[in-house]
Formats: sequence, structure tokens, C-alpha cells
Amino acid sequence: MDILTVEGLSKSFGGVRALRDVSLSLRAGEIRAICGENGAGKSTLVKSLMGIFTPDAGSITIDGVRQTMRGPQHAQALGLGLVAQELSLAPRLSVLDNIWLGSSEVPVFHRRRALRQRARNALKTLGAGDWDLDIPASALSISQQQLVEIARLLARNARLLILDEPTATLTDTEIARILDVLKTLKARGHAVLYISHRLGEVFDLCDTVTVLRNGEHVATRPVRDMTRERLIELMLGRPFGDMYPAPAAGPDIGDAVVVDKLNVAGMVRDLSLVAPRGKILCIAGQIGSGANVVTRALAGLVPGATGRVSVDGKPLRLGSVPHCVERGVLFLSEDRAAEGIFHQRSVLENLLAGSFGAHTRLRMLDWLRLKRVGARLAQRVAVDQRRLAAAAGKLSGGNQQKLLFGRAIERPQPGVLLMNEPTRGIDVGARADIYQIMRELCSLGYALIMTSSDLEEVVGIADIVVTMYRGRTVARYERQSIAMARILADITHPVQAAA
Amino acid sequence: MSQSAQPPISDRRLVAPVQEGTSARAGEPRNYVGIVRAVVLVVLAAVALTTPGFLSQPSILSLLTTVSFIGCVAVGMTLITISGNIMSFALGALVGATAMVFIVAANWGGFAFGLIAALAFAGLTNALQGFLIGWLRANPIIVSIAALALIYGVAEAFAAHGTIYAAAGANYGGFKGRVAGIPVEFAVFLCVTALAQFILSLTPFGRHLFLIGSSFRAAEAVGVRAWRAITGAYLWAGLFTAPAGIMLAIRYDAASMNYGMGYEYEAIAAVLVGGTVIKGGEGSVLRTLAGAIIIGVIQVVLVLQGLRTEWQYLIAGLIVLGVIALQTPGTRD
Repeated sequence: MDILTVEGLSKSFGGVRALRDVSLSLRAGEIRAICGENGAGKSTLVKSLMGIFTPDAGSITIDGVRQTMRGPQHAQALGLGLVAQELSLAPRLSVLDNIWLGSSEVPVFHRRRALRQRARNALKTLGAGDWDLDIPASALSISQQQLVEIARLLARNARLLILDEPTATLTDTEIARILDVLKTLKARGHAVLYISHRLGEVFDLCDTVTVLRNGEHVATRPVRDMTRERLIELMLGRPFGDMYPAPAAGPDIGDAVVVDKLNVAGMVRDLSLVAPRGKILCIAGQIGSGANVVTRALAGLVPGATGRVSVDGKPLRLGSVPHCVERGVLFLSEDRAAEGIFHQRSVLENLLAGSFGAHTRLRMLDWLRLKRVGARLAQRVAVDQRRLAAAAGKLSGGNQQKLLFGRAIERPQPGVLLMNEPTRGIDVGARADIYQIMRELCSLGYALIMTSSDLEEVVGIADIVVTMYRGRTVARYERQSIAMARILADITHPVQAAA
Repeated sequence: MSQSAQPPISDRRLVAPVQEGTSARAGEPRNYVGIVRAVVLVVLAAVALTTPGFLSQPSILSLLTTVSFIGCVAVGMTLITISGNIMSFALGALVGATAMVFIVAANWGGFAFGLIAALAFAGLTNALQGFLIGWLRANPIIVSIAALALIYGVAEAFAAHGTIYAAAGANYGGFKGRVAGIPVEFAVFLCVTALAQFILSLTPFGRHLFLIGSSFRAAEAVGVRAWRAITGAYLWAGLFTAPAGIMLAIRYDAASMNYGMGYEYEAIAAVLVGGTVIKGGEGSVLRTLAGAIIIGVIQVVLVLQGLRTEWQYLIAGLIVLGVIALQTPGTRD
């Protein structure tokens, strides 16, 4: 019998129909991928299942019994469990406390033997039976915390696990572990709804895939009948061109950035690299390798960073963002929500943030010019110009990311763009746009330095790859010698230091 | 591959560029807030117009005058709120202290010297707080409470808990009348409002305040010198607050720490009633102007209806709570 059957589910917000007549069903022991671009209705579906939203129409049937979800606790009691996109552990509480936090089964005092044993069993299922239940969650790595989140659901007897982008912040080896765990759970008869932008995982892990587009159910197929290209076409609703544009063809326009012995206490040791203009240099490393600290330090965002850095032959003083920006060194954070977008401000202001001072007349803002430039920038990064006055927080993640790129264009001279995880949490369509924008910046003579924990992306977009392990560089590869296996080997367990 | 520089980088269009789910979700509570606003305004107008004596000339003039003192403080407060620093508890004390500085300096060096000294005092006192908040990232509420205690303590010790009077020969009569039919105080308030709106809308500094209030870290990441902007916001807040103290001193030919008592509460009420968002990043002083007038009308109605002044604090408190309750669902997402 099906664990879950959804029929005709619909949900509107104001005038926008986020979910339109969606039906699907799921058997025990099945891992189902839910794919779709941002705004396709994936999270509305999940939130309706968990009772966070009340659907306008349609039915949810669990184990053959039609249910009206009254809220997350009710959904949990029925055997549903959600691992949300952001980690929801309380960092200072112990692993045990986190596993039972908020459970309706737990009375005031929860340190009872039975609860401890169930938490232990849940972790054992995940291959983590030897963990100390009493250390604080903050002592665990991100992937370990992710496992605790899954254990939390198992301890509460969840039989249908819903995972919303569980691997967005993990590196490849960590992802492999999570995928192994999910395969074990499948073998034990759990059903999984798996939401991910990473198509590789869909093909590695899932049995079936459901594609949503604009709130509608497009197709449900076995994964073995599906190709990558076909899946992307279904998600986009149009033919699939090349995801990655052709690499920079031109000659090097000279070395823009020369880094000599960059040091950040405990994070980066004696890192040296050279980034030419017109190329994309990618620093590949796992979380904790220090790759993202390198770009932050070059952007002036790490106060204790030392080392000799020069841009176009002139030394760059580290530790001051305004100084770096004046020298054309711009930064694009991996944390778009907290360090990138001004959610309440308009699209126009987001595009021009940081360069208001360049658009003044008699020291007053020249709004006519600002609007003209803003419209042009929006067009160049493929954001709808009719939305210039809209609050940036209302845009999809992909469009927000394009705004951040828009800030880098039309500088007085081509600069240096530092990017951490530039396509994290972004759907396929916007991703392709962003790779195009990056290539355009290359052709304008920018030097691009990015970090990424998505190896497929590294191989696809980079002209130069520098691998990092525990704060040190391991090797440098140029276009022809870039290969996924070697990069993976470098960033996980380097055999020897770089020659 | 060759790409021309000007046309869009990508021909790929979004599948549905205009309708993205979140826009409508945030829209629902906004409309609801709009309806509540409209209802409150209509009710207030009805109550005011049916209150005997509200439409008389003395009543209107006194309304415009009282609104001006709180209004100047509220305009300064708006800059602090927009920059993401919530509110300052010290602005009320600053009004009283500025009035004292003005009287003392004017007694010693004449009217113009008094003006300059009062503005300099208010600006510097506030800029120092702004520096602590911007440079050290100190909690703005705590800094302002400490400043409140310091200003109050020093001023009360100086004035020996009393009132300081203008020198016998001082004649501020020219600043007590009306210009073009409106009280001088209200004209000053309008000028302050215009200058503040100019700064917010038409200078890079003003835009930076909005960016910092919206996201401090994102503003730093694009190269905004956040500590400078925040210090500047407090400096201007002090300069906009100072006229309230100076005008009170001129009006009564005296100064006392009682003058600004409770102004910070009424000011923040005016800021919030106007629609500036408490968490920062959104708002305007024109809205604050409207908010100050609404607060003023409520107070005049209360007085005309025969309610005691204690009620005004109660009403101000209720208004702040009500507006916060209205703002919260609309801005949380």
C-alpha cells in the first residue's frame, strides 16, 4: 500500500497559484526526487504535507486514511518528518536534547533511559551509534549535524522523510555519506521525498522523480528511464542548451591578482596564487579547507589576514573592504541572504549599492542617471526591468544572485570579482544565466576568482583550478588538465604536496 | 565566441518572470495593514472634527506648536531607526540639555553664539554615541540609555535640579510670533523635515543609511563605511533634535531638564505611526511628519475632551504597541 497519496492539491497566495492540482503517491521503500526550478511549488508542496500551510483544495492520504494536517506536530505523529533547508539544531544543546527538542512525547524531564536508548538506536541506524550524545551540537560538523536532524526524525518513528536540499551546504564526501544513509533507510522500508537542485544526486540516489513547473505536476517517471538532459528540459519546459558556455578563448591579458604567502590564523597557511584577467580561477576545497576564507581575505573582510597581494602590480592593503572596492576588488558572498541582498530595498538600489557615490551631480544623487544605469544593468543580467522598483527580497534566489553580479558590471575599469559558491541554491535556468554573465565579465577583462564545493561546476566552468586542503594549496590545473578525479583526490586526501 | 557588450547577456528568459510565489504572500498582510490605517485615520478625523473647539484657531495653532517640538525629535529619531539602530532613549534628555546650553551660552555670548553652541553640543553628544555604536558595534539601546543617564546626571548637577533663566536683557520676541500665518516653531519643523528628507533621498549618505539598516553585513561587503554613516546618522539626529530644545528655551526664556521629558517616546510613536519600519531599512521623514501630526491631533483631542496628561503617556504606549503589532506580520518573512 502507498504510504502517501496526494490528490489534486492546490494552494494560492493572493492571486498567485503556487500549487495547481498536484497528485502523486509514494510507496514504502521508495526514494522520490522532487525537481523543479525555484518557484515551481516544491516548498509549498512540502509545507502543505507538513501542515504548515493549509491547502485550498485536494486531499492528503497517509496509510490509506485521509488526513487533514493540523500542523507539524500532527504530521509528525502521522509518521512524516521534515529536514528543512537550513539546519535547525540548537547549537548549545546536546545531541540528545536536539533529537528530542520539541517532541510531543517528551515530558518536562526528558533524560530518561528509554528516550536515550531510542536516540542511540536512531543514530545507530545512520552508522553513528558510537557518538557521544552529550556533546553540544555545535561541536559537530555540518554533515554530522545533518545526520542528527535525520536521527531526530527516526527517533520519532518517521516513516516518510522529507529532505529539502539536505546537501546544499555539504561537500562531496559528506554528501556521499548522507546518500549512503538514505539508501540504508530505504532498505529498511522508509520512504523519502528528496528535493535537490543537484541532479547528480537524483540519478545516484532516487528511484523515481516528480517534476513540478509553475506549481503544476509535469511528470513522474522512474529515474532509469530518464536522462539528465531530458530531466532539465522537463524542469525548464524548453529545450536544453549547453549549461556551461565555451571557455575563454582569448590570450591572458596579464596577471591581475598576485597573492604571495597569504596567512589567516588557523585557516589559511602560506597560500600563493596568480589569477589572470579574462579567466575564471576556481579554488576547490571542502568546507573547512579555507577556500572561502581566501576570497574573503582578498576582499578585505578578514581582519587578521596577512600576506603580500598585488592587483595590476600595485599592492593591495588587506583588511579594509572600502579600500579593496576602490581598487576594483569586489566580493560576492555565499550567504546571499545575510551578506548580499538588501531585502527591503528595491532592485534598482540593489544593483547600484556601493556605487551611489559615482552617480552624483553637485554631490546630489542623480536619480535620472541612476534609473538609466539601473535599467541597463538589469537588462544585462537578464532581470525583468519592470521589476526595478520591487523589493529585492521578493525575487527568487536566482534573480537575487544576478543582482549581485549586476553590481560588478559597469565599473570604471574591469575589476576583480571574488565569488563564494556563486550558484548555491539556484535553479537550473538561473544557473545557466549566471555562467553566461561570468563569461561576459571575462570577455570584458575581469579576473574572476571563485570557490565552489560542487565539483561538477568546478570542472564545467573553471579555466584554472587551484585545489586546497586544510588551508594549503595542493595543486594547480589549467584547462586541459582539469579532471574531476584528481581534484577530488586533492581536496579529500592529498598524497603529496604540490610539486 | 564573440559577444557584443551591450545586448542582454542571456537570451534565456525566465519561464515566469513576473509571478513568483513570495510576492503575493507578503502582499496579503500589507493590504490588511492598509485597511487598518485607513479605518484609524477616518475614526480619528471623525472624533477630532466632532470634538467641540478642535477647529478653532487657538486650538490649531497650539497643535502646530506642540507638534513641532516632538516633530524635530522624531525627524532625528527617524534617521536612527532607518539606519537599523531602533531608537535612542537619550533624545528627550538631549532636548533639555540643549535648552540649557543655549540659555547659558546666549547669556554669555549672545543669541548667535547660543545657537551655535547648542547645535554643536547636540551634534557632538549624539555623534559620540553614533561612533560607539558604529565603530564598536555596541548595542544602540544600551548606549542610548547610558547616554540618557550621563546627560541627565551632569545637567541636573549643573543646574542644581532647577531652572536656568535667560539674562534679564535677552529679547527673543521676534522668534515667538508667526511667519505667513503659521507659528515659527512649525516653520522650523518643516525646514528640518525638508532638510532631512533631502539628505535621505538625494545624498549617497542617505542611501547608505537605508542599506545599512536593511543589512549591515551586506552594506559592509559592498564597501560602505558603515561606522561613518552611523556616526553621521547620530550627528544629524542631534542637529535635528537641537531646535526642539532651542525653541523651548526661547518660548519660556528658560531651560530645565523637564523640557524634554518623555519626548523620545512620543517621537518614536510618531516615527512608527508614520510607517517607518522599526527594524530599519525602510521609511521616510515625510511619513514621520504625518505621524507627528496624528500624535498631536490625538493629544489635542484628549486635552479638549478633558482627559488628564497622564493619559497621554498611556495613549502613546498603546499606539506604539499597536503599530508594532501591525508591522510585525507584514515584515517578517
